[in-house]
Parts: sequence; C-alpha cells; structure tokens
Amino acid sequence: VRKHSQHMKLFKNKGKDESTLRRQRVEVSIELRKAKKDEQILKRRNISVHLKEENPLGQDEVIIQPSLEEIVEAVNGDDIQLQLLATQATRRILSRHKDPPINQIIELGIIPRMVEFLGRADNAALQFEAAWALTNIASGTSEHTRAVVEGGAIPAFISLLSSPHMHISEQAVWALGNIAGDGPLYRDALIARDVIPPLLALVSPATPVGFLRNITWTLSNLCRNKNPCPPLDAVQKILPVLLILLQHEDKEVISDSCWAVSYLTDGSNDRIQIVVETGILPRLVELMDSPDLIVMTPALRAIGNVVTGTDQQTQEAINAGVLPVLHRLLRHTKPVIQKEAAWTLSNIAAGPSQQIQQIINSGLLAPLVELLDKGDFKAQKEAVWVVANFTTGGTVEQVVELVRSGVLKPLLNLLLAKDSKTILVILDTISNLFLAAEKLGETEKLCLLVEELDGLEKIEELQNHENDMVYRAALDIIEKYFSGEENTDLEPRTGQDGLYDFSVEKQDFNF
Amino acid sequence: MELSDANLQTLTEYLKKTLDPDPAIRRPVYSLTAEKFLESVEGSQNYPLLLLTLLEKSQENVIKVCASVTFKNYIKRNWRIVEDEPNKICELDRIAIKANIVPLMLSSPEQIQKQLSDAISIIGREDFPQKWPDLLTEMVNRFQSGDFHVINGVLRTAHSLFKRYRHEFKSNELWTEIKLVLDAFALPLTNLFKATIELCSTHANDASALKVLFSSLILIAKLFYSLNFQDLPEFFEDNMETWMTNFHSLLTLDNKLLQTDDEEEAGLLELLKSQICDNAALYAQKYDEEFQPYLPRFVTAIWNLLVTTGQEVKYDLLVSNAIQFLASVCERPHYKHLFEDQNTLTSICEKVIVPNMEFRAADEEAFEDNSEEYIRRDLEGSDIDTRRRAACDLVRGLCKFFEGPVTGIFSGYVNSMLQEYAKNPSVNWKHKDAAIYLVTSLASKAQTQKHGITQANELVNLTEFFVNHIQPDLKSATVNEFPVLKADGIKYIMIFRNQVPKEQLLVSIPLLINHLQAESIVVHTYAAHALERLFTMRGTNNATLITAAEMAPFVEVLLTNLFKALTLPGSSENEYIMKAIMRSFSLLQESIIPYIPSVITQLTQKLLAVSKNPSKPHFNHYMFESICLSIRITCKANPEAVGSFEEALFLVFTEILQNDVQEFIPYVFQVMSLLLEMHKNEIPSSYMALFPHLLQPVLWERTGNIPPLVRLLQAYLERGASTIASAAADKIPGLLGVFQKLIASKANDHQGFYLLNSIIEHMPPESVDQYRKQIFILLFQRLQNSKTTKFIKSFLVFINLYCVRYGALALQEIFDSIQPKMFGMVLEKIIIPEIQKVSGQVEKKICAVGITKILTECPPMMDTEYTKLWIPLLQALIGLFELPEDDTIPDEEHFIDIEDTPGYQTAFSQLAFAGRKEHDPVGQMVNNPRIHLAQSLHKLSTACPGRVLSMLSTSLNAEALQYLQGYLQAASVSLL
Repeated sequence: VRKHSQHMKLFKNKGKDESTLRRQRVEVSIELRKAKKDEQILKRRNISVHLKEENPLGQDEVIIQPSLEEIVEAVNGDDIQLQLLATQATRRILSRHKDPPINQIIELGIIPRMVEFLGRADNAALQFEAAWALTNIASGTSEHTRAVVEGGAIPAFISLLSSPHMHISEQAVWALGNIAGDGPLYRDALIARDVIPPLLALVSPATPVGFLRNITWTLSNLCRNKNPCPPLDAVQKILPVLLILLQHEDKEVISDSCWAVSYLTDGSNDRIQIVVETGILPRLVELMDSPDLIVMTPALRAIGNVVTGTDQQTQEAINAGVLPVLHRLLRHTKPVIQKEAAWTLSNIAAGPSQQIQQIINSGLLAPLVELLDKGDFKAQKEAVWVVANFTTGGTVEQVVELVRSGVLKPLLNLLLAKDSKTILVILDTISNLFLAAEKLGETEKLCLLVEELDGLEKIEELQNHENDMVYRAALDIIEKYFSGEENTDLEPRTGQDGLYDFSVEKQDFNF
Repeated sequence: MELSDANLQTLTEYLKKTLDPDPAIRRPVYSLTAEKFLESVEGSQNYPLLLLTLLEKSQENVIKVCASVTFKNYIKRNWRIVEDEPNKICELDRIAIKANIVPLMLSSPEQIQKQLSDAISIIGREDFPQKWPDLLTEMVNRFQSGDFHVINGVLRTAHSLFKRYRHEFKSNELWTEIKLVLDAFALPLTNLFKATIELCSTHANDASALKVLFSSLILIAKLFYSLNFQDLPEFFEDNMETWMTNFHSLLTLDNKLLQTDDEEEAGLLELLKSQICDNAALYAQKYDEEFQPYLPRFVTAIWNLLVTTGQEVKYDLLVSNAIQFLASVCERPHYKHLFEDQNTLTSICEKVIVPNMEFRAADEEAFEDNSEEYIRRDLEGSDIDTRRRAACDLVRGLCKFFEGPVTGIFSGYVNSMLQEYAKNPSVNWKHKDAAIYLVTSLASKAQTQKHGITQANELVNLTEFFVNHIQPDLKSATVNEFPVLKADGIKYIMIFRNQVPKEQLLVSIPLLINHLQAESIVVHTYAAHALERLFTMRGTNNATLITAAEMAPFVEVLLTNLFKALTLPGSSENEYIMKAIMRSFSLLQESIIPYIPSVITQLTQKLLAVSKNPSKPHFNHYMFESICLSIRITCKANPEAVGSFEEALFLVFTEILQNDVQEFIPYVFQVMSLLLEMHKNEIPSSYMALFPHLLQPVLWERTGNIPPLVRLLQAYLERGASTIASAAADKIPGLLGVFQKLIASKANDHQGFYLLNSIIEHMPPESVDQYRKQIFILLFQRLQNSKTTKFIKSFLVFINLYCVRYGALALQEIFDSIQPKMFGMVLEKIIIPEIQKVSGQVEKKICAVGITKILTECPPMMDTEYTKLWIPLLQALIGLFELPEDDTIPDEEHFIDIEDTPGYQTAFSQLAFAGRKEHDPVGQMVNNPRIHLAQSLHKLSTACPGRVLSMLSTSLNAEALQYLQGYLQAASVSLL
C-alpha cells in the first residue's frame, strides 16, 4: 500500500495544482553548510580600514590612539575638536580589519551622542566620522544594528541622505543599507520614514559609479527579506529605478540590481506579477547568459523565482527566451549554477504540457540527462525533480520522449543516492513512468528496461531501507509490476494475497 | 509503589520467575504469570526506578541483566506519549530516569550498558533535544574521562541517537537538531578522534588497549557518517584535513596485534576500514567539489588495500565495499585519468578483479553442501555483497570508458587460464571456472531474468567461446565429472541464450536433458532451469522459439529424466524441476498425451507425499499447474477423459480436505472448478454431494479459500443452477449467507458480488424470488454505512445486471417497494454521479445496457417525478461512453485493504492453467452498446412521438447531443 507523496496524489487525482507542484525557494532557516560567498551578497557591509584609511586632512602625522575612557569623556564633553578626534578614534577602532570590538564600543554608551553628531550640519567632518563609526557598528550582528537604531539613528541618517556633501550622503546610504539588511522590521521602519524618495533622488547619470554601487546595494536590502515582504507601494517606487540600473554598464551595479529583483520575485505570485509587468524579463534572461558569475547568479535566481509563479508568468519567462539559456547553464562548469538552472527547469517542468513541450523543443532533455548522469550531486538532486515533475504533468508522448532520451539509466543509478528524499522522488517518478507505460500497454517492456538497467535490484534493495516511506514506495512498485513472474498469462501471482489483488478494476467479471 | 526494600524484594522474585525455564511458572495457564504481574504493576509510580535500582544494586548478576532488559522493554512500550492517550509514565519518574540513566549506563558492565544505551536512544527519540537539553553536554563531558569503557558507552549511545540522520527526510526540525548536535558534539568528537589515534600509537604494542581504542574508532567513524549524511556541515568542511588525513592513514595501517585468527568473522581492523570506505564513498558521492583534493589519495589507498587483503571470508565486506568504491569512482568522467594508464588498468585487472573472481573454498563448500543457497545467490542475483559481484561491477564500471583495453587485458587472462586448465584439468579446473566467470562478466552489459543477457560486449565472441569451451564439457560422457564446470556451462547457455544462435541451442537441448541425471543438485537444477528458460523464449509471431515439433524426438527422454530428477537425493521437492515439468507440458501440448497415465500417477503420488507436510510453496504451485495442464491438454482432445482424472485425483483431494491441509485447499478448489467446467452436461452427483460442505462457514473464515471457493461456487451455478434449485433448494439461504458474509467485509465484498451476480444470472428467478428484497436491503445498508469506491463500482454493475436480467421496471418496483422514492434516490445519488468510476470493458457494457433499459423501458421514467432524472441519466451514460474513466479514490480509502484483511498467512495463489475464460453476460444480446442505445431511443420515440426530442433539445448539453447524434447516425435511425 502506497503512502502517496504529494506529487503522486496530485497525479492520481488529476486536479493538478501547479502552485503546489512548483517548489518555491524556501528560505532555509537552518543551514548546516558553510555559507558560500558567491551564492549571496552579504546582508551587512563593514568599511574596513584598508579601504579608506587615509587621513582626511592628508597630513602625515602620527595618530595617537586615545583610551576608551578618554573617548567617552571627549565624546560626551563640549570640546568640538576633542569630539571629532574621539569620534575619529572610535571609527578607526571599528574599522579594524579583523574582529572590530563593536560590543565594547556599544557598552561605552556613546551611540546616542554619535547620533547627535550626525545632526551637526555645521561640522561636516564630525558628521562624517560619526556616520562612518555608526555604519560599522550597524554592520555587526542584529544586536549591534539594534543598538544603532535604538540610538535614534534612522531619522538622522535619512536626513543625511540629502546632505550637500556627497561623501556624507554616501556614508548615510551605507549605514541605511546595513540597517535595512537586518530584517523586515527595520527595513519597514526605514520605508515608513520615507527613506525611498531621497535615496532614489541620488541616482542620476552624474552619480559616480562607486556611490551608485552603494545606493544599489542599499536598494537591494530594501527589497530583501520576507515575512512580511516589503510594502507594495515601496516596491512600485523602487522598480522603475532598478530597471534603469539594470541597464548600467557596471557589473556590480547590475549584480546588486539583479539581487534586488531576485528578492522581489521571491514571494507570492502577485509579487512576481508586479515584476513581470515591468517587462524586465528579457533583460534578466540576457543577464543570465552573462559570462560574469556575479551577474549571472542573481539573474538566474530571479528568473528561477519567476517560474515558481503561475503558468502565465512562467510562460513570460519562456517567451523571454529562458530555455536556450538554461540549455547552456545546465552545462556550466560551476555546480551551483548547474543546480540553480536545474531548479529553475524543474519549476518549468511543473507546468502544463505545452510548456513541457517547449522544454523538449528547446533540446533540453540531452543536457538534463547528462546532468543526471554526471553532474554534481546537488545538481543531480534538482535534475531528479525536473524528471519527476515532467513525468507528473507530461503527456504520455512526452514521457515516452523523455525515456527515449536516456533518462532511465542515470535516474535508476541515483537510487543509490545517499539521500532519502531523492530516492523517494525517483521511486514516485518510476511509478509515473509505469502509469504512462500502462496506458501504452507497454508495462512489460518498461519492466524489462528497468531490470536491464539494474534498476530492479536497486528497488528490491530499497525494500530494506530504513525510511518507511522509501520502503513502502519500493515495495509498492515491486508488488505492482515485478511480483508476477515473467508471463502474466502463464505464471502464478505467488506471494500475493489473492484478496489484495482481486479488485474489480483489474479482474474481469465472472458471472 | 514505594521505593522500599519490600518492593525490591517482590520485584526480584517476579523477575526471577520470568527467567524460569519451566513455562508453567513463566506462563501458568490459569494463574497470573510473572510477566503479566510485571505488566500489571508497570503503571505504578516508581516502578522504573525500582528496576533501575535493581539493575544497579542487586546482588545477583542475572537479576541485574533481567532488570535491565525489562527496563528497556518498559521504556519501549511506554515512553512515547500518544496524543489522546494517557501518559503512561509519571512526570517525576521521567525526570528521575533522565537524570540518572546516563551515569548508570556508563558505570554498568557491558551487557547492561547495551540495554541502557538502547533505552536512552528510545527516550532520546522522543525527548531529545527539547525535553532533554543537557543530554549532549552530559555525554560530551565524559570524553575527557579517559576511561574508554565509559567513552565507548557514550559513543554507542550517540550512534543509536544519531543514526536516523542517515535515512530521514530533510526538515527544519531535523536540521535544527543536527545543528545543535554539531555545535555540541563535532569539536569534542574531533578531539577525541585525534586523541584516540595518538593513543593507538602510544599503545601500539598493547593488544587489549588497542582493541578498546579501535572499538572507539569504529564508533567515531560511524558517527562521522551519520553527522555528515544530510549535508556537509561547516565544521567538518573546515576540519576535513584532520579527518581525511587520519582516515587515510588508518586505511593503510596494519598491526599484527589486531589481526584475528578467525577466518569468518571480520575483525576490528576490517570493520574500521570498511566504515572508512563508506565515509569516503559518502563524500565522493555527495561532496565531490570539496572532497576532490583527497579523492586520488583514497583511490590509491583503497586499491593498495585490495591488493594486500587476503581471500578469507572475514575480509568480504571490506573487499566488496572497497571495490564498490572504486567502481563508483571510475565511472565519473573527471576521475577517468586516475585509471586510464595501461599499467594501472592491467594492475587493477590482475590484482583486484581476477583474484576476487576465483572460486574459493567457501564457494566450493556451498556448491556441495548448501546448494539451495548457492543457487539462490548465483542464479537469482542475491549476491549483492559478494566479492565476485563487486568485481563484476568494477569490470562494468571500467568498461564504460575503457572497454577495449579491459577486454584486451582480460582476453589474455582468459586464454592463459584456459591453457592452465588444459594442461591438467583435474587439478586446474578452477582456472576454467574463473575464465568462464570473467567472460560472463565482461560480456554482459544488461541482463534480465526473462531474457538472460540482453546487451553484450561486442568485443567478445560468445558463440565461439560456447562452441570451443562450453559444449565440449557438456558433451563429455561423464555427467558427474567437474560438476562446477558443468554448472558453469549450463549457466552460460542459460544467460547467453539470446546471443547464441538457435541451432546451437538445439544442439544443447539433449545435453541439458542428459544433465538432468547428474548427481550434483546444482547441476541437475541448472539443467532443469535452463530447459525451462529455453522453452519460454519467443521466436517469430510471438510463438515459442523452440517448437513442439523440434522437441518431438526428445519428449519421452525429457519427461522421464525430469520425473527421475525428482527422485535424486535433495531434489524431491525441487521447484526448478517442477517448473520445467510445467513448462514442458505447456510447450509439448498434445504430444504428452500418450504419457499422461504415467505422468498423472506420478503427480498424484507426489501430491499425496508432499501433502503430509507442504513446505515448498513454489514447488507445490507448479505441481498443481502441471496437474491443470494435464487435464486441459487431455480433455481438449477427449472431453470424456475428465472422468478418469476425477478418479485419479478425488481420492487425494478427499484426503487433503479431510486432513485440512490448509496450503492445498485453495488449489484443490481451483482444480475442481476446472474439472467441473469440463463437464458439458448436467452437474454430476458426486459434485452435488459436496455442495453443502462448500457452504460451511469454517471454510469461509480463511481468506485464502475465498477466491477459489467463490470461483468453484460460480462453476456450480453455471453448470447446475437448476439442479440446485430443484434438489438443494434448502441450501439457497446458506448460499446467500456466504454472500452476506462476504459483502460485510470491505476486503471481500467484490467476491460477494461475483457470487451474487452468478446467482442472479443463472438461478431460475422463482427460486430466489423470496430473497430478492433482502438482498437489496443488505446492499443498501452497506451503501449507507460504509460505502467504498470498490463497493460502489461492484454495486453499479450488479444493479445493471439485475436490470438486464429482470427488466428496468422490476428494478424500479423492487427499489420503491423497499422505501418510497428509493429508485429516484439511487439514480440521483449513486448511478448518475458515480457511473464514471466503473472500469473494465464488460462491466461498462453491462452498465450501458442496464441504463439504456432504464431510459427506454421503464415507464415511470417518462411520466412521474423521475422524469427530471431522465436527461441527467442519459448524459451520465454518454459520459460513460466518451469520458475517461474517473479513477479518483478518496484519501481515506487508500489503506482499506490492509486494515480489513485478517492476514497474509493463507495466501491464495491463482493457478494460471486453471483460469476461466472471460464471461460477458450481455455479449449475445448487445454487440455495440452505443448503437443499442440509439436503437432503444428510437423505439421509445416511436412509442411516444415528440417527447424524447423535446427533452433532448431543451436540456441535453451540446457536446453530449453531438455524440448522441453520432450514435443515431451510426445506427441509421432517427428520433421522432
């Protein structure tokens, strides 16, 4: 007796619901792996010393580092010169490349005072130093960011966006990016304080690239995070600017813009719809094909998110030419790209049969089979999902085409995978294949094929699997298709209880 | 229960009693048993604590052990808190157990430690980590104790707690737990690993210390596997160098002190290396990117390991694991370079593959003394863990990229081994065995049970090898010489039967028949099996490849040798031989008729003999199939012969029925059905005498009897309904009682319907008149109280059959006589919405004809309130014709069969050769149901002109109307 997986149930009941078949990128709250640098941009950024350690006055004097006590005293004192020096010293401490002592600085209780300095429009140097110091505090942990926000920094930084000094407004952009990157709560606090209009106002053809990069990154953080997603009107405001930024020539600007779009598409279908409606997809698809990993990765991610949406949204991505690009990306040298590409394809394969047909027409079966055969395990897992969805939603002819392309051998080989879920998905896929074979009256042929490719013995072996669902799924296939001996017309159905087999469906009536 | 000495004493007494070898004390029939007493008090507070006290403090060791086992079983039964059920262990006891069990486990002797460790993992499964937060710290702290007895206890417990990570699905909950475990456990485990390895070199000369340390290393390596299974944890990625370097050096380590004398049981060193191979394989499969730098080293180490490991059985697991590792790596394109050097390939072939293909002493022993197991492994492929199999997989893996060179290297070996054999066959026969095995594994690329090898290596000339090296052995006059080579040769024919040309197969047939006489069980079994396989091969036009005509010269010797083989020692119930008998009958057909008298005598004698103690289900099954075939083949040519079969068989059948040989009774019923159906005229009186006995409830209690008994009763009804009505009218309630019994079960209701359908179809209407209403009431009750999809489908077929047999008006009248408006309700609630679910061609046809009758031959459908259902019913009928079958099943029904079926024990095996033909009760009446509908509608419209057309045009949907017009056209009729 089978315990149906979600997929099988959908298949069985025919009321196929694409939204459940499609697998949204689930924000995994638990990760065992090391975070991979190229996979995601950092939520927070610190400005470390070697980037900006130049004496603002251009003087070559020896810097005397005051003690923490002296800093507290000076910051809280009235001497403007000392305030500046102490703030500068604080900033310097915080800009240490390795493990800046953020906690210690917070404990000094000087944040509110630093926030106050942000308002000293008369003293640009002090504003700048305070902004830098606070930026670096905010770049720490959530705890650290909170200290800055609770010190009242949000309104202060927002007004600094309009500072006449570009280096100060840039610093404010940076600080706000760190605060926004903390999570939905602060992000929305910023949005509620109307951070967006002054931020967007900074984007102009004259904005230097370096500055533009920071603005883009901060914008991306304002788009980032779910539960809840950023408010709709904010998204509507940001999107037109992102469209412009995506046309920029600087790779980093493009990269962060793509990340922003990828965050905006990582949500419900109505969120995806807003992005699709901007007509951005052809550009994203073009960027997916970029030779630069930092551009291709987020563009692929964004498109991958789009195809988790409705059939129509997926169709838009297909119309934008995603399939030929996926053809190349499935063969990319980087396993993570292969994996993301296969994930994207798996969601397209979860669509209606016309879309599955487009997958076939674009010649994607060959690279899919290759990936299944020789890809990295992460990519193989996703490729298994492609096949599973394909066999769930595809027509019998399409499934035949898939089998003809040689999918069976690598698929059956993956029954040895050390991952229960993958095994279960494969077993469900095999059941789908048998359902198709039954419709064609070619069950026996498929049985032989599975046996020839050493699949039968692997499935038999899985009847000993520790995982209950895997064991049941394997048992079910064996009982249904392999328990009779070779000639169903001649051989007994041994080992089977007649009662289980005597259903009306199968038995012709004996009157 | 208080924690008092008195209670401890009582408990000790009862524990002692549970150990008493005298079952009267352990389980006296009429008084409370010791076990029952313990179960009766286990609900009391403090009970588990009393057990823990006993296992710690009792003076008697046996009580300690017994308390620990009782405790573990108690935990197993009671710890889990099931929703909506009372908590079976009081909270205070739970807290106390968790507080004490770890130190107690660690300070206990090993025997008790194991029980407590199991108990901890059962508790851990429920409580860890949320409700047992300090478990990990408590365990990890013991790593520093330096006491490896304690450390191994901790490791063992950890292993049983963590091993589920190897098979569970990824989930946030699981990964949260793993992360927690990694945070607390990974670093201490790594430190322990390093420290243990250091201690191993410090104690390199101390055997007993080494044993303990290696036990730890094995557990550590297992924990590594569990913790790294779901994904590559950050910690282990950062510490890969430490782990892999040490694993690698352990693979290459040898220490005389750790070598065991035991040839069979794997020693610690082998177990550890084997686990390390698993760990390396895990990384190679899942974390290839990160593991790549280490992989070549492991390939070299594992291969050296293989070269230096001996032939003893104790190394089998290690060797097959190690070979499988190489096999999985050599198939990957980016590691191809590690193998492609000619010297490397030669060395792998020579030092790894060939030695592991050799026929070992253990194989020889199995061949002679445990032939059943040998055959199972060799023929049926249950050899997954064997060395030969692993070597074979490696050959196939290497052939993926290096088919040419590998074939070349091996051809050389095969030739030299054959030369060795030729020099002195009686000494060097094993060389030939290895050569044949090598050719087989090299040549076979794909294989199935049905066809043998289906894809072969084109570089190997199979026919040439067959003619030059296989046939000569089989042609030798002495069938008993070199039995292993004979078996190899026969197996070669068997698996390459699709590659070897037919003329060679025909040459082989007499040789195989000859080898049915070999003394060796393996040899004559293989010969029978090979013949059976050859007889199932298909030639052109789907006919058998080997024809009865080609077999004509061999019929007598084949049958003689097959039956003689059943008399050879060890083969009296050989299923391969019996299957070959069945297959021979089926192939030879009427050419066996001259031998039937002798054959049926031998078969009945065999049947009588094995019915004393049936133990080989397959053998028995094929024996009954052979009996059925004898009957069919003979009676086809001469129907009168059925009497002589009855004469020969009924004596044995009576004995089987009288002695209640449960395994055989279902078969007997099937053979009897077949015999009964052979009678062309009225049912013989011998059968009628048996009829009342078939209705005995005791027979119907056994699930395995139900299908064949229903089948037999159906045969009675088909042949003798009028005899039953006249001579056994008093048995009709009993017959219907059987129907009622079956209909009450969700698992058997369809069988009940089979029976009911036969009754309705064949019994004279007046004989069942008085019961009809009751039948429907019963069905309605089921429908009301526990309907299932299966029931509804059967029900729909039945009422439509009833309608066909008794008329639509009769159906309407009987429904409405049970309850007013019942007919309309059934139409509206059951027939119209569910008819789409009916499956099967004949079933659909019955329903179509029945519904057509309701539409066109039931006046109330035209002139009462039922008229409103006329169009929906017609629409449903057109849907039945045109729409795909609705095969949805409500979720809650998926498990019905399992829950309602008493058990698997009395499995019913249907005999293929006792099968009956498909029966279509409306076949003669209606050929094409669509045309029949058109004609019936035409008739109706003639009777009431205008009515039908106006109903159709006002309410039938357009699509259905279009189909209907098609039917009318096809029938060349039109409506008035």
